[in-house]
Amino acid sequence: MYWLQALPVLIPVVLGMGLLILQPQNRKVRNGYIMMSVLLTAGLSFASIAVAAAADVTPACTLVRFSSEFSISLRIDGASMVYGTIVSALWPLITLYSLDYMSHEGHENRFFAFWIASFGVVLGVAFAEDFLTLYLFYELLTLATLPLVMHFMDEKARYAGRKYLVYSLSGAAFAFIGIVFLLSYGTTLDFTYGGVLDLAKAAGHESVLRAVFVLAFFGFGVKAAIFPSCGWLPDASVAPTPVSALLHAVAVVKAGAFAVLRLIYFGFGADFLRGSTAQDVVMTAAIVTIVYGAARALRTPHLKRRLAFSTVSNLSYILFSLTLMLPVGLTGALTHMVYHAVVKITMFCCAGAIIQKSGREYIYEFEGIGRRMPVVFGTFTVSAFALIGLPPLGGFAGKWMICSAAVISRNPLAYVGIGALILSTLLTTLYMMTIFVRAWFPVGAVDTEALLKIHDPNRAMTIPLIVLAAAGIVLALLSSPLIDFLRAVGSNML
Amino acid sequence: MRPFYENLPFICIFIAIICGVLSAVIQDGRKVYRLALMMTAVIAVLSVVLLYFLYTEDVSFVYSMGRFAAPYGNAIKAGPLQALLATVFAIVMGLSLLGGGHSLFQDILPEKQGLYFVVTDLLMAGLLALVYTNDMFTGYVFIEITTIAACAMVMAKDTGPNLIATIRYLFMSLLGSGLFLIGLTLLNSVTGYLLMEPLAKAVAILAELGQYQRPLVVSIGLMVVGLGIKGAMFPFHLWLPDAHGGATTSSSAILSGLVLKGYIVLLITLMTRVFGLQLMRKVGVSNILLTLGLLGMIFGSLAAMREYHVKRMLANSSVAQIGYIFMGLGLGTEAGVAAACFHILVHAACKPLLFICAGRLSTVSGHHRSLKNLRGSAYRDVAAGVGFTVGALSMIGIPLLGGFVSKLYLSEAALESPFMAVVLLTIAASTVLNALYYVPAILAIWVRPAWEEVRFIMMDVKPEDTRFDRLFFIADAVFIFLIFLLGIVYHPILNVIRAGIRLM
Amino acid sequence: MLLIPILLPMIGGVFVFRQRNEKIRNRLVLWLTIATAAAAATLCVLPERSLRLMTIEGALYLEVQSDSLAKFFMVLIVVIWLPVAVFTGAYLRHAGRGQQFQGFYTMTLGVLMGLALADNFVTLYMFFEMMSLLTMPLVLHGGTPAARRAGLKYLGYSVFGAGMALAGYFFLSHFLTDQSFTGGGALNLSLAAEHRPLLLIAFLVMMIGFGAKAGMMPMQAWLPTAHPVAPAPASAVLSGIITKGGVLAMIRVTYYLFGPDFLRGSWAQYTLIGLALCTMFTGSMLALKEKGLKKRLAYSTISQVSYVQFGLLLMTPGGMRGAFLQMVFHALAKDALFLAAGAIIIATNFTLVDQLVGIGKRMPRTMVCFSAAALSIIGIPPMSGFISKWYLASAALNSESQMVGYLGMAMLILSALMTAGYLLPIVVRGFFPGRDVLVERKEVGPQMTAPMMALGAAVLILGLFPNGLQAWISVILPQIF
Repeated sequence: MYWLQALPVLIPVVLGMGLLILQPQNRKVRNGYIMMSVLLTAGLSFASIAVAAAADVTPACTLVRFSSEFSISLRIDGASMVYGTIVSALWPLITLYSLDYMSHEGHENRFFAFWIASFGVVLGVAFAEDFLTLYLFYELLTLATLPLVMHFMDEKARYAGRKYLVYSLSGAAFAFIGIVFLLSYGTTLDFTYGGVLDLAKAAGHESVLRAVFVLAFFGFGVKAAIFPSCGWLPDASVAPTPVSALLHAVAVVKAGAFAVLRLIYFGFGADFLRGSTAQDVVMTAAIVTIVYGAARALRTPHLKRRLAFSTVSNLSYILFSLTLMLPVGLTGALTHMVYHAVVKITMFCCAGAIIQKSGREYIYEFEGIGRRMPVVFGTFTVSAFALIGLPPLGGFAGKWMICSAAVISRNPLAYVGIGALILSTLLTTLYMMTIFVRAWFPVGAVDTEALLKIHDPNRAMTIPLIVLAAAGIVLALLSSPLIDFLRAVGSNML
Repeated sequence: MRPFYENLPFICIFIAIICGVLSAVIQDGRKVYRLALMMTAVIAVLSVVLLYFLYTEDVSFVYSMGRFAAPYGNAIKAGPLQALLATVFAIVMGLSLLGGGHSLFQDILPEKQGLYFVVTDLLMAGLLALVYTNDMFTGYVFIEITTIAACAMVMAKDTGPNLIATIRYLFMSLLGSGLFLIGLTLLNSVTGYLLMEPLAKAVAILAELGQYQRPLVVSIGLMVVGLGIKGAMFPFHLWLPDAHGGATTSSSAILSGLVLKGYIVLLITLMTRVFGLQLMRKVGVSNILLTLGLLGMIFGSLAAMREYHVKRMLANSSVAQIGYIFMGLGLGTEAGVAAACFHILVHAACKPLLFICAGRLSTVSGHHRSLKNLRGSAYRDVAAGVGFTVGALSMIGIPLLGGFVSKLYLSEAALESPFMAVVLLTIAASTVLNALYYVPAILAIWVRPAWEEVRFIMMDVKPEDTRFDRLFFIADAVFIFLIFLLGIVYHPILNVIRAGIRLM
Repeated sequence: MLLIPILLPMIGGVFVFRQRNEKIRNRLVLWLTIATAAAAATLCVLPERSLRLMTIEGALYLEVQSDSLAKFFMVLIVVIWLPVAVFTGAYLRHAGRGQQFQGFYTMTLGVLMGLALADNFVTLYMFFEMMSLLTMPLVLHGGTPAARRAGLKYLGYSVFGAGMALAGYFFLSHFLTDQSFTGGGALNLSLAAEHRPLLLIAFLVMMIGFGAKAGMMPMQAWLPTAHPVAPAPASAVLSGIITKGGVLAMIRVTYYLFGPDFLRGSWAQYTLIGLALCTMFTGSMLALKEKGLKKRLAYSTISQVSYVQFGLLLMTPGGMRGAFLQMVFHALAKDALFLAAGAIIIATNFTLVDQLVGIGKRMPRTMVCFSAAALSIIGIPPMSGFISKWYLASAALNSESQMVGYLGMAMLILSALMTAGYLLPIVVRGFFPGRDVLVERKEVGPQMTAPMMALGAAVLILGLFPNGLQAWISVILPQIF
């Protein structure tokens, strides 16, 4: 059933455009259409992943064939399964949340059309078989998510959208050079564990290839918010919160990290890059971003921007682990990818609920809100603990795997990375706990009258929150089987 | 007995000239318009037939005109590449006339409309000749004809700035022609021939023997520079924004999409058939082309970023895109030339699309030109908005569109060159710069502004402007289809180009 | 069974939060503490057992067990927790927001139990972090911006310290034969010998990290900031037990992971001893100069706890004995001091030492307890503090390195003198204010004085009859040497 893989990629794009054309005005009809589309896509995605997992040799599905070497094809391997599952599991939940959220914001037809289409495009990134396909869906992802970022169409949204587009397209342009080189010096453009470089052809050109790798790393790294091109992410938090939850947890930033993953482990090859100056350069960039993101988060009083900087920092945990150029590094990266996605999405949904119900966006306005919105702040607190890395919650397993991998690598720079991670843990604690403390332990005169107007959102928003928080806890408790699976993926035993 | 298809090139040129004459006689603008469209359609069909025969038999032929035997007289040489180019040029010209038709009849005075199509037909003839020519004399003659026709196209829209632009264009073009002529004279004196085959042999002998080094180099240089001026190579491009930006939509489309390419095709013919790529590299002219191409890519985009007037922005963008082509040629390899030719096709499809869509968006926005005033215009004509978006995305280089394939093959060709790093980085930087002005344009037309801001624009809109323009829609759709075709089914096209270069 | 002392107070704490009625709430807290104490006592009597809670991945799991060290600490914690709980009930009547404080207070007890019962580093780390998080609200209870800043500073230091320890553990874990705490060390000695410098650096980092909680330099700065703003019962448990939690972690790292044999005589050991001695000295000196009562007591804690660290860093049975004794006695005495300080604040609102002239006449019972505790801290017989300091001094003299011996002795003596210098004047001026001052009696209620007196009595009695305690310690020592 090799064509099954194409369905979850193509159908949502069609359905999304359908929404744009049909433009139903009745909210019930529209919501039904949206949920049905998303659930259908998620179902198809899980089905394809299951089929691929059961099969001995995973088949490929070619959508467009340009020539004997170039085509747009999909194939689900271990890494695809992980990323695909994260995306497909979280998208329906956030859709449920956003149906209620966007009913207060307006222009839902346009919003959800691109929302549904983006789902398909992200799955395209996850299921891509080769670099050309990855590049195509990568560019399409930028275009599909742009209207979501710019949704409000005011000054700030337009500015954020422009910045996002320029950064992303520029990044892709530089990554393109990497792909051209892989084309010339590689045996194939298809993702192959261990790299596609033809070492005979590459002999003598190693330094050029490594320099190009660095260029491509920073190119794809733009979406993964590596310093210095992380500036678009905090600005993009002017988008509606479901978009932030999506961008910052699932779709865009993880797609960037996923592309880097493919670049290193399935493109240039970890063995080729390990021990070179190129590795040092990219590792340093990741380490700097870890600390930079956390530090900026601490200094930002705006809640969503703070969470955005937190994402910048956490994404670089994943990138740092990837730059270790070891299978354990790959495993660590995947682990943190999973846990961070769940945790961050929860936090953004909480942030959205807070902003919508109380109208307050800045941390210093949160005095005493905790008691008024116990469900929201409760889930926020649990997720904050997970992000900080309190065992047995999820973030700890991720950090543990990454740091273990760093120790195993025996790379002195990796040791610095461990230090950066610890420092970042401290900063994370501080910037999360200040929110927590203000909410639950208010200081000074509290405006009780204004507070009385604030209360928890209705079920459509709280249920996803609780489910997400519970899922985070369950995943953390089930960390042992999960990490075994990810280890298998990391060592290509899948 | 020569096969019938060998007559086709000459027949096409002849048809174009005849239509030109007829257009001068028939006074009714609309009838002449339809005649021009039919002409392009016929020429396109004939060229396709020619292409089919040439490609399947993998052959190119020479066709002498007149009674003079070689090595004197005029001749036509047609191979798969020439046939492909002729097809595309004809199709694009036809579509440009279709797409810009509405504006055409508004911009040009009724008594001059017939003349416009005379000029159009002559231009078609000129382009075909530049593509098919096998001797320098014919080449030069049709260079001049094309120049004058092009100037007339610019001037068709009777406004003050346009006249100034035309004069500047004329001046620069004639300068270019003059330089070309001097170079040609020099070459003729040194070799004694005008027909390309014997010319090539003579040049090769001279290069081997090392005789007449300096005259050879000077003549190459002059001819390249001459054609470069006419083809808007950096830094001789300054006439372009004014000329293309101010003209009526069809003119801009044809000028940007085709006229520039005609000269470049002649340049390619010179480089491959007469001088040979090896000599070009040895003499260093390739490097000069490469450098100027790279500079054009950057500075063209930089200038485009500063423009608010959408057509001027597109015109400056053409400078950048021509830079890609010159860069490809400057790589001095067959792969580079192939990539450059592919980009000629891509740009010939994209730029006219952008121009006609810009024209249409402008029309439905009360003939306002600046991007600020075109905000939200895509909603007034969705087809134009979509077309503009597709064209812009192709220029930026999104996969599945033609522009991406050009970038891919240009990058691959660059890998062999010693200047690989500079070229690749410039391609990347150019993509970024392209994004920097195309993206705001796309956003501008798709973002619906507040009602107060557009009220004064909407007041200028006349009802007949917003009526569904069927001709435009057809042109728009076909162009979009072509761009996707070039993006997806590019492999066979590239094979044709490669065969064509081999059979030059 | 192992989980009862951990879960009972944590779950019970939730109910404490919700209980509005003060009387019922106080009773609830009391009963929960007593129940936990009973459970702990039962565990002490029962033989050692362990329980695996959860596998995080592969060799990484959460596990609890009750070995002799765990039992020791459990009892210590409960013994302190009970009287302070009684005191808190009365104190909060004046201070307000009882629900929040008592709720966290109760839950902290559970977490501390977990800390004691932890069987491997990750479990220890988990409870350590939880402890930091749950005690932070105790610090910022005051509700002022200064309290909030102090709370966050406390949290920051704690988390960073724990993070440092975790970083060290990443390296250490590859050299352990067994991830669980094993008396005497769990190192794979042959492997470890090859990488000695790396491991010693890891050790240093881990000790400094956990030492932050125990108030060891260079990460002690949170202590003097937190204590003045925290309510007195919170300061009491912070100084009394929480710091000992840090010490417990240090003991686990030193004796149950690395093992004294590996560490003895190394540069890391001497560096840390140096830091401990430095802290001893600096703490006392800063206490001397400090005018605020609670802050003075805070500096005193820094100094006194570093005695414990000094003892445990000597890596000899004698040193450890001294450390254990000092731990117990300091906890009892310091808590008595803080409770007294709390009583003084409630009764008189005095926070500065200079204001305490004649306080002995005003609040005799409080000051008697204060004096007993002060004497113990200085180290005057027959108070218990004397015994612990004696053992520490003899262990110092018996240590392998003469330098350590002399320096240690010198520091101990110097510190004792300074301790006298900052504690005695309070006592003296309290009871003998001079002729001009007339004071009337205004003692606090029995609910507050009873715990103080209990603690004060314990200090004296254990000083006179330390044998039971000594015997218990003798059970633990062979397991780690």
